[in-house]
Amino acid sequence: MTDDYLVELQDIHKVFTTRHLLPVDEETRKRRLFKKRDVYAANNVSFGIRRGEVFGLLGPNGAGKTTMVKMISGLVRPDKGQALVDGLNVDKKRKQVLRKVGVVLEGTRTSIWPLTPLENLIYYGMLKDVRGKLLRQRAHDLLDFIGLKDKKNVQVRRLSRGQKQKLAICIALIADPQVLLLDEPSTGLDVQSSRAIKDRIMEMTRDHGRCVLVTTHDMHVAQELCDHIGIINHGKLIACKPTEALLDVFSEQVFVFRTDKAPTVAPFAEIPGVVRADLEQGMDGPALVVHLVPELEARSAALYAVTRQLEHADVRLRAIAQRQQNLENVFLRLTAESDLAESQ
Amino acid sequence: MSFFLVMKAEIVRSFIIMRRYWFRTLTGMFIGYGMLMVLIAGFIYSRPEMEEGLNRFDDPTAATNFVLGFIIGMFAFGVVGMFTQGLQGMAATGVLEQLCMSPHGLAVNFMAQTVVGAVTSIISSGIMVFAVTWSVGGMLHWDTIPILVLLTLTFFNLVGFGFMVGGLVLVFKQVGQVAIILRMGLFALAVFAREEILDQPWPLALMLHLLPITDATICLKYVLIKNQTMTVMGPDGETIEVFRSLFLYPPFYWLIASCVLWTFIGLTVFRFMEDYSRSKGTLGSY
Repeated sequence: MTDDYLVELQDIHKVFTTRHLLPVDEETRKRRLFKKRDVYAANNVSFGIRRGEVFGLLGPNGAGKTTMVKMISGLVRPDKGQALVDGLNVDKKRKQVLRKVGVVLEGTRTSIWPLTPLENLIYYGMLKDVRGKLLRQRAHDLLDFIGLKDKKNVQVRRLSRGQKQKLAICIALIADPQVLLLDEPSTGLDVQSSRAIKDRIMEMTRDHGRCVLVTTHDMHVAQELCDHIGIINHGKLIACKPTEALLDVFSEQVFVFRTDKAPTVAPFAEIPGVVRADLEQGMDGPALVVHLVPELEARSAALYAVTRQLEHADVRLRAIAQRQQNLENVFLRLTAESDLAESQ
Repeated sequence: MSFFLVMKAEIVRSFIIMRRYWFRTLTGMFIGYGMLMVLIAGFIYSRPEMEEGLNRFDDPTAATNFVLGFIIGMFAFGVVGMFTQGLQGMAATGVLEQLCMSPHGLAVNFMAQTVVGAVTSIISSGIMVFAVTWSVGGMLHWDTIPILVLLTLTFFNLVGFGFMVGGLVLVFKQVGQVAIILRMGLFALAVFAREEILDQPWPLALMLHLLPITDATICLKYVLIKNQTMTVMGPDGETIEVFRSLFLYPPFYWLIASCVLWTFIGLTVFRFMEDYSRSKGTLGSY
């Protein structure tokens, strides 16, 4: 298994303990002096990323995405388990691993603002043992590749946020790492900058055989960019599949029946072949949303039965449309199910 | 080897910033000069009791002594500050996380940054000491080898202390505020340190020896101001000045001992705290 993956996390476990002074006890409603609470950042998480693959790590705020990135880059040590990069244990062979990894962490400035992008790349390149003509050549190539060539001699503090983010990616790439870790690379960026960064990531993964781990809240970016998606919630990996397979995870078909008035939902839910029926209020009137089984014959029969039931209820049908499954729906359902399981 | 590679990167960065902000560098030195002159005028020459107090130490070059102590104090303040305020600043801007992810390791990166910062500080401080000393009619004595040896030992002494405080700041972020008091203490000690303050009961004297700046300042003043001479009683009871090399001067050996001690303590504490911070997940963040 290890030989196949460039990055691999094996049974990673990490708990952070938070301490609260003078909290109110939920049961007694009295104030206590001190309370400790364990927060799971990783709960026996295992996954791998192959060469040439973009892996998307999705999850709500505080789910543990950034901690995963920090564990692969050696900034955080797991309590149990191990992170491997190219077969090397991150904790034991940190120096060798760091030569293979480039990281862009969320919300950090990373670059040195009084310097220009070119000077930043030269500085960070030297820190990562890249020297001489190779360093200069690579710095120029990267600025050209990311679209900052005409800004190479402008001080970083004068650049826009998108340009600074592009520079952060260049800094992560200056030592030509095999693994690129991007923590929320498109946060706060406009559509154009976000798309430009996404295109560059795809290009360097496909053409240069790197592997990329992206954490993001942007489901559209994840759906378009990632070959493989992992969804994490409360430190648990609740799904880890190729993107296409994940979109099929809820294989039922969803149909939307737009009507002139709102029908009673209960009879529709009893029709054979109907998994679930809901009522939605849209801008152009009510809509009956029906989830049907994937089997073709049962689905056709159920569709026919739904239209008959509408006719029987004296509700006029205006339009029927099939709703496409997207990553956002999958993500919301999986995390909601996970939250429910957690609370039970 | 990796230390020199990182140091080269730091020199490039510092040089670019100094060149880009040359006006700020230059005005900083002028302001420093002005402040020192005002302090000398205000504290030493305008207050007879202060001068009297200083003269009790039988020091004929009170102003030069004060200036040198002030500059050494500023140096100590700055070097330790690189590990505390510098570390906090880098953590706040995100640069610290990048340094933590450098293959050379955080300690090597910090050491290189501090060496470059200290050399810059020594050059600018040297110019200021010379200018102020010349302005007040004092005199400094230059002896290359002892001075270089002393500056190196002083630097490593302070770096060791800085590593210890910096290591604590990595884990306990609020130690940074306490460190300001420590730095001010070092500064005050450097201004007033002279051989006579070691004439204390032995526990207090030992504590003064263990502080990273006491013997360094005494030795630097011994070379630069006293020109490595000591006052001894002649055969007829008269006092005479005799040359006694720095390498035969007892505080010099205290300085070496303190340097070894602080370097060991500093690096050990820093590595331990870096490791602990990695486990806690707070490395590089503030």
